[in-house]
Amino acid sequence: MQASRARLFKEYKEVQREKVADPDIQLVCDDSNIFKWTALIKGPSETPFEGGVFQLAFSVPEQYPLQPPQVRFLTKIFHPNVHFKTGEICLDILKNAWSPAWTLQSVCRAIIALMAHPEPDSPLNCDSGNLLRAGDVRGYQSMARMYTRLAAMPKKG
Amino acid sequence: MESPEQGHLQYISGGDEYTDEEEIKRQEDFATEKSKASAANKNYTILTEEDIFRRQGDAMASVCSVLSVSKTAACLLLHRYNWSANVVLEKWFASEESVRKAVGLLPESTNPVIGMSRSSSSSSFDEVLCRICFENFPPESFYSAACGHRFCESCWKSYIRTAINDGAGCLTLRCPETSCGGAAAVGLDMIGLLASREDRRKYNQFLLRSYVEENRNRKWCPSPGCAFAVEYHSAGGDDDGDDYNVTCNCSHSFCWNCTEESHRPVDCETLEKWKTKNDAESNNTQWIRINTKPCPQCNRPIEKNQGCNRIACLPPCKFQFCWLCLQNWSVHGYNSCNGYKSTTEKLRIATEEEINRKHFNRYTHFYERWASNENSKKKALLDLGRMDGQLEKLSEAQSQPKLMLDFVVEAWKQIVECRRILKWSYVYGYYLSEEEEESDVNVKLPLFVYLQGQAESGLERLHHCAEQELEQFIYGECNFEKFVDFRSKLKRLTRVTGNYFENLVGALKNGLSEVDSNGDHKRLRRR
Repeated sequence: MQASRARLFKEYKEVQREKVADPDIQLVCDDSNIFKWTALIKGPSETPFEGGVFQLAFSVPEQYPLQPPQVRFLTKIFHPNVHFKTGEICLDILKNAWSPAWTLQSVCRAIIALMAHPEPDSPLNCDSGNLLRAGDVRGYQSMARMYTRLAAMPKKG
Repeated sequence: MESPEQGHLQYISGGDEYTDEEEIKRQEDFATEKSKASAANKNYTILTEEDIFRRQGDAMASVCSVLSVSKTAACLLLHRYNWSANVVLEKWFASEESVRKAVGLLPESTNPVIGMSRSSSSSSFDEVLCRICFENFPPESFYSAACGHRFCESCWKSYIRTAINDGAGCLTLRCPETSCGGAAAVGLDMIGLLASREDRRKYNQFLLRSYVEENRNRKWCPSPGCAFAVEYHSAGGDDDGDDYNVTCNCSHSFCWNCTEESHRPVDCETLEKWKTKNDAESNNTQWIRINTKPCPQCNRPIEKNQGCNRIACLPPCKFQFCWLCLQNWSVHGYNSCNGYKSTTEKLRIATEEEINRKHFNRYTHFYERWASNENSKKKALLDLGRMDGQLEKLSEAQSQPKLMLDFVVEAWKQIVECRRILKWSYVYGYYLSEEEEESDVNVKLPLFVYLQGQAESGLERLHHCAEQELEQFIYGECNFEKFVDFRSKLKRLTRVTGNYFENLVGALKNGLSEVDSNGDHKRLRRR
C-alpha cells in the first residue's frame, strides 16, 4: 500500500513535469483518490481515430506496480481489441506481460500504439475483428471513423 | 516427504561445481537404477523426487560441461527443452542464436557475464534512479540481469516474490525493463540471491515439477498423496506391444493412457463408456441393492464385509450361499455362476417395457458383479496391507522364519490383481453380450463365459483359502503336517489361478478370435 502510493506520487510529479513533453497524452489523477486516474489520449494520425480524443479510466490496485492497473475506455470506440460495451481492453501488457517498469504514462503510449495496430486475431469486438480478418479494411475504417466522429469529437455548433 | 530446502534437493546452492565424491555417488546411483529397471523388464520407471532431482542435476552437469555455460544457463535451456540434454545440444548446435533468444540468454559477446551482475560503477557517488519505485539509491544497492538493466534490491525482491507466488511462470521470468523486450532471463542465480527461503523452496518445487509436467512421457501417479512420478518407455511403433498397465511404488495400479485405475482387459474407450453409464444409472437404490441382500433363508439383511463370495448367515440360521446368485452353497460349491441367463427365454415379440427391463436386468447383472469384485479387491488390498503383521503371528505360531512365508503375500498379490481383472472382465462381458444380442449371434459369449467362469471359480477357491484357511494356522494349534499341506495348496492355487487369468486376458486381448469366423473383431480388440 505504502509502496504503491509512493510510486503513484512519483508518477504524479513526473506527469506534472512532462505535461508539455507528450502532447498526445493528458493524465489526470482523481482529486481525492490517488488510485483512480483518467487519461485523455489523442487518436493517432493516419488511423480512423485521428482527430478524436478518447478518455481512459485507470483503476490502480494496491499491489501496483507489481500488478497491472485496470484500464478501460470511457469513450465509445470501434476497435477489435476493445469491448464495445464495457470499454475493456485486451492488451498483453495489462495482463500476463505486465512488468513493474511500465508506468501509467507508458501504458497510455501502448494503448495508442494498439489503436494504430489492431490485433484482429484476439478480438474483444468480434464484428470489428471479423471485418479486418476478412480483409475489409475499408469497412473497418469507415465504421471506426463513424464512431470516432460520433463519440470522440466535440459536437459541432 | 522431506522439504527440499532442508534435504539435499537444492538447485540453488553456493557453487556450480560438483565434487568428485558426489560424482562417484551419482554414477553408482545411476548404475543401480539402471539395473533395477532392466531386472524388472518393465516399460516404465518409477521416479522419486530424489531421482528426478538427480537426473536434473546430471542433465545440468552435462549441458554445463559440453556448452561451457553456467548452471543457471543450463537450467534455463533444459527447462525450455523438456529436460533433455540431447535436445538442448541438438537445438544449440543447429542455431545457437535462436535458442539463446528463446530462453533469454544474451550472446556472450554483448555481455561476457551471464547471470546476475552487481553494479560496480563506483566511479561516482551519484545516486541512481530505480525505474520501478522511482527512488534514488547508491549504485551498490542495484542489481541487474545479464542485460544490465538496473533496479534496486527491494524492487527486485518484490518482483521475484510476485512471480514465484503467481505460479510456474516464474521459471521463465525475464528482466522487467520494458525496452529489454524479454531478452534477458532471470534464472537460478538471481533467485538464489534475491528470493526468500520459502520462495526458493517454491521455485525448486516448480523446477522439480516441470521435469514431469512438461514431458509427455512422464506423469505423476494419480493416487492421492502419492509423490512418485512414472516415466513411460513406449514400445515404439508396435502398438500391440504397448502395455499401459503401470503399478506405482505406492501400489496403485493405473492405466498410463487414461490415468484411470488399471482396467485390463477392457480398453480406455470402453472404460469411459462404462463410467458414463454408471453415473447415469447410479442412485441410492442401486447402492442398497449392491451393498445389502436379504438372506435367502431367513431374510435378514446381510452386508458383505469379507472378500470371498461364500456367505454364511449368522446363527441360528447358518445358511451358506453364494453372494452373487444366492444359491445354497452345498449345491453351488465352487461352481461358477458368472454366465448371464436371460430370464425371458420364450420367443415372442417383446414390448418396449420388456426390452427396457431386459436391458436393465443385464446391466444390473454385470454391474453387481463388477462392483462386488471392486469391493473384494479393496478388501483384499487392505488384507494385503495387514499381511505383514499376520505373518509375524503365523511365523510365531508355526515356528517358521518369515522369509519362508512369502507365498502368502504372493497369493494375496495375485488375489488383488485377479479381482481387478475379473472386475473389468464384467464390463467386457456387458458390452459383448449387448453386441451379440443386437446382432443376434451367440458365438463369443459362450467362450467368454467359460473362460471367465474358470478364472472366477479358481479365484474364489484361492481367496477362500488365503482368507479362511489361513486363520486356523495363525490362531489354531500348531500342526506342521497340515501347514505343509496348506502351503502347497495355496501355492498351487496361486499358480493355477494366475494361469486362468492369463488365459482370460490373452483371449480377450485378441478379441476371442478362436471362435471368430468372420475375422471381424475390431470392436472388441483391446487397445
